[in-house]
Amino acid sequence: MIDCDVHNSWHSAEVLLPYLPPAFREYLQRGELPGPRGSFPHAHRPWLHPEGFMRYDAVPASGAAAGSEYELLREQVLDRYDVDYAILTGDEAIEASTLANPYYANALTSAYNDWLVQEWLPADPRLKGSLVVAPQDPHGAAAEIRRMGDHDDIVQVLMSSGSQRPYGDPFFHPIWEAAAELDLPIAVHLGGQGGLNANPIGCGPTTFFWETHALLCETGMAHLASTIAHGVFERWPNARLILVECGVAWVPPILWRLDEDYRALRKETPWLRRLPSEYAHEHIRMTTQPLEQPRSPEALWPALDDIGARDMLMFASDYPHWDFEDPRFLRLPESWREPVLDGNARDVYGLPARDRVSEGAGR
Amino acid sequence: MRGERHVVCRASELAPGERRIVRLGGRSIGVFNVGGSFYALHNGCPHKGGALCEGPICGTTVDASFGYGRDGEIVRCAWHGWEFDIATGVAIADPAVRARTYPVVVEDGQVMVVVPGTTRARGVRR
Ligand code: FES
Repeated sequence: MIDCDVHNSWHSAEVLLPYLPPAFREYLQRGELPGPRGSFPHAHRPWLHPEGFMRYDAVPASGAAAGSEYELLREQVLDRYDVDYAILTGDEAIEASTLANPYYANALTSAYNDWLVQEWLPADPRLKGSLVVAPQDPHGAAAEIRRMGDHDDIVQVLMSSGSQRPYGDPFFHPIWEAAAELDLPIAVHLGGQGGLNANPIGCGPTTFFWETHALLCETGMAHLASTIAHGVFERWPNARLILVECGVAWVPPILWRLDEDYRALRKETPWLRRLPSEYAHEHIRMTTQPLEQPRSPEALWPALDDIGARDMLMFASDYPHWDFEDPRFLRLPESWREPVLDGNARDVYGLPARDRVSEGAGR
Repeated sequence: MRGERHVVCRASELAPGERRIVRLGGRSIGVFNVGGSFYALHNGCPHKGGALCEGPICGTTVDASFGYGRDGEIVRCAWHGWEFDIATGVAIADPAVRARTYPVVVEDGQVMVVVPGTTRARGVRR
């Protein structure tokens, strides 16, 4: 089994100090922060979770932040569910996308990537990493991908779903180009709603956390449509977009709408040669959590089946966040289990088959 | 009451507002003292199997003007935060959903939980 969204956290963002260039180290030591000392520089969203953000039973005995200690993460995810690979997605690092200063944002994400590679990935051969980049600095992000993207345990590039504009926009093409050069998928994870990224919700900000959380999939819709429409998958045939924690059930109807409108107005995007849903089937993947829960569980599958989602869905738990999904409680049609829990992620990340893992890892 | 009685602790060892998570007959169970009455809930959430008994013990909003009440009568599941009435196991937001409850007996100062179809357990842990 592969878990595509496991959050490795820190107890204090000051773990990044040794990895920051001196000019930016001062910002973190003496500069303004959004919270107490050790908080990560970012602009916050206007909705605050009224119960905090973490599973209460994921707080280590030391009282450190949930997700910040490898031993508990191993016990509660890797060992408990017999996970072959967990794709680490960081925690606050993607929030650097909310900062107006692209140089600072880029320095912070670079520091995070060095910390990830040095402090987390060596801990366990089951851990694979995501290279976090600052999308507001596309050239800096591309340079970061070229600097670190060939590390053996890095399997994707990661950005927040909150963004200044949809990710197919030519403004971001340097990022797609670098990721294609390194043959890395680009994952877009829910987050980065605030600061520079002022429009995570259509019509402007909603009011309550739960109300908003259910609507944040809107950003996923825009990134999906934009990457297809701007021809990202024509220009870089190995490009892949992975929507993490952006919801799943909305994908079929949006693709149906895109197909229909494209058929009528194809002339706007002459670089496209196929239907939007065909690009999506080949190039776009979605992680399960939080998988929508219809009143009758089987109601979810016919529409997803129509777009070939059995090849597109990948399991994610979102450990240790409050909306964590336990793979044992995931209701999947029997023939979807293997691809969703394992095969699709193995393909997209190019990870070795299971028996080779257990031999190689010697566990 | 059918089932085996398992001694959890002395009543004096579990003060009002406190809880213990114990393993009885192979099940993880939360034992609570709410205002001097003892209750036991299954520590596996009817939502998605989370650690129901390990979240905050609290109250909640009880009217449309943000009036706060029921303090100490509610436990929030440690995973997704659903609120459960400790005494009945009923989920506040959707009363059709219930956490499993176990009868609790206090005799000779001992708190005992009745677990169906088990033999007496040893190795109670906090
Ligand atoms: S598992 Fe308890 S609220 Fe979801």
